[in-house]
Amino acid sequence: MDLSTPPPDLYGRPRADTFFRFLTAFGDRYSPALGSPLLRRNPRRPYSRPTEALQLVVTARRRVAADVVELTLADPSGGPLPGWQPGAHLRLALPSGRERHYSLCGDPADPAERSGYRIAVRHLPDGGGGSAEIHDTLHPGTRLTARRPRNGFAFCAEPAVLFLAGGIGITPLLPMVREARRNGLDWHLVHTGRSADTLPFAAELRALDPARVHQRTDDEHGGPPTGAELLAHAPRGAAVYCCGPAPMLTAVQRALDASPAASLHFERFGAAPVTDGEPFTVRLGADGPELPVPADRSALDVLREARPDLPYSCKQGFCGTCEVRLLAGAPDHRDRRLTPERRADGALLPCVSRAAAGETLVLDL
Amino acid sequence: MPSTTPVPALAAPAARVHESLVLEPRDVRFDWAALPLHWIPDEPMATHVINVLHLLLPEGERWFVKVFKDALPLIRDEQLREEVLGFIGQEAIHAEAHQEVLDHLLGQGLDPRPYVRQVSWLFQRVLGDKPGLSPARQRENLIERVAFVAAIEHFTAFLGNWALNSPGLDRAQADPTMLDLLRWHGAEEVEHRSVAFDLMVHLDPGYARRIRGMLVSGPLLVHLWVRGARFLLAADPTLDGRLRPTWRETGRIAKRGLLPDPVRSIRSGLRYLRPGYHPTQEGSSSQALGYLATSPAARAAAGR
Repeated sequence: MDLSTPPPDLYGRPRADTFFRFLTAFGDRYSPALGSPLLRRNPRRPYSRPTEALQLVVTARRRVAADVVELTLADPSGGPLPGWQPGAHLRLALPSGRERHYSLCGDPADPAERSGYRIAVRHLPDGGGGSAEIHDTLHPGTRLTARRPRNGFAFCAEPAVLFLAGGIGITPLLPMVREARRNGLDWHLVHTGRSADTLPFAAELRALDPARVHQRTDDEHGGPPTGAELLAHAPRGAAVYCCGPAPMLTAVQRALDASPAASLHFERFGAAPVTDGEPFTVRLGADGPELPVPADRSALDVLREARPDLPYSCKQGFCGTCEVRLLAGAPDHRDRRLTPERRADGALLPCVSRAAAGETLVLDL
Repeated sequence: MPSTTPVPALAAPAARVHESLVLEPRDVRFDWAALPLHWIPDEPMATHVINVLHLLLPEGERWFVKVFKDALPLIRDEQLREEVLGFIGQEAIHAEAHQEVLDHLLGQGLDPRPYVRQVSWLFQRVLGDKPGLSPARQRENLIERVAFVAAIEHFTAFLGNWALNSPGLDRAQADPTMLDLLRWHGAEEVEHRSVAFDLMVHLDPGYARRIRGMLVSGPLLVHLWVRGARFLLAADPTLDGRLRPTWRETGRIAKRGLLPDPVRSIRSGLRYLRPGYHPTQEGSSSQALGYLATSPAARAAAGR
């Protein structure tokens, strides 16, 4: 846009807009004045310090289903840990350097639990190795670090609630169930799994309220439940909190409108894993360094290692925050944001877009 | 047709503050093909006073995105940085959603371009980067802009909270898709209401910075709103310039629940000046997240 001619009058009168002339003059004096003694950050004030990572030690380990262990993590000196709310998760840095998110499954309202976080982990033989590492190497006394709990699945305590848990998906819901019970909400829980011995915390849940906890296993019913079956337990107008494998969530989403439930909460996990990716290379500027992008990582993740301040947000190719300019190379655009004109103009979203095997994308960075 | 119902204020145990929320943009889409020019039937004044949002927000929120992207290298806290990144994505989607309404207005014979030209000038020229400043002064300008955003975000959270509690719009049979846009946007504003303030305090905890942010942007926002409403009513091809906004009429419309009460809005701006102010003191995350779990647009976004 033209930034040299002030905008014309709103109603077509043949002069520049008076108010905008005033605003522009004000801005042109205000900006250079910032930084003078009365208009600057007080240099004597210390800079705010970053929140430190939590140092934790494993204090207890118990089996809560056939292939699920529950770990209790505490401050090594036994001090209180930062508080959290149902639905929160912990990002653990495992001894191998892997980082994994685990929902907290203890009871944040119980003062005795302020000194220990509880997580439950299912052993996934085909997973990325995080669950195997936890099962094999984390024993009482093992130390690890974690970020403070954060919540991507907040519990809003609606008057009528249906909890839907698929197997280990019970972990974030467990604290919500306890809170719902404490607050006297009209709640139900459907806990599904392959067989009874794979359902974590089965006895604990039944003890909460056998009339409200419905355990449903595939072996007894001849297969996984449909969305409508799961939602049949919803009180009218209920808020549904669902945590389980992707097909379960999809089934519930599809069946919601025809059910008595009114709303659906679920944990959002941001980026989906890369599918059909091939290894390629990005170069930072025409003469800049080259970085290899492996088949299973996004270009954004690789770029962020070199440029930590590179903005990004959705990591799914729709918000456009991570847009970079492509100087050369044939990209495989996988976003749902950029118009053909913008792409032709060199815009690229590295959070999802890639290139063919062996290709080099030269980026204006 | 999608239906939207306001979420009633929730009972005491739920009305507490949600801490450390993970913020992420939602990939919402709206279809405006059937949106009538006066989307609150027979209420052109209320419609256009709210329509000012569509004039201001696309350029304004793109500017928020630019300011916050520029501020990323100054952030020394990983959690705050993640919140800022979530905020940026949400604002980027907001800007596009409102831009589509703006394009639709033009298709209905209401040409918003003279006003939008001025708004672009404001955000790109008046509040944009100035040439020839030292790095220290550039940095001060950046922090000052963050303070402007923090003050404006106080109003967007106030308006979002109002939109979530505005049964008057349902009673007046306002267009359900527009209601969903306003409430989805409002809910995300309530959801991320602390981010800009926390960023400002992180970069400069001084009270003077906060006050300047509000003293400059508060009156400017009010003035832009008034002239935007006047402009839209004059540019509406079906009104022939017969309607002019007055504070008295606005007050009457607010009493019917179609607009936020102007007096309360100003008072809310003054609360921002209290030394102990924090954005979590206003609005309810429970209500906002509860609406997002109901919103037709947000639910469709979840399925993408």
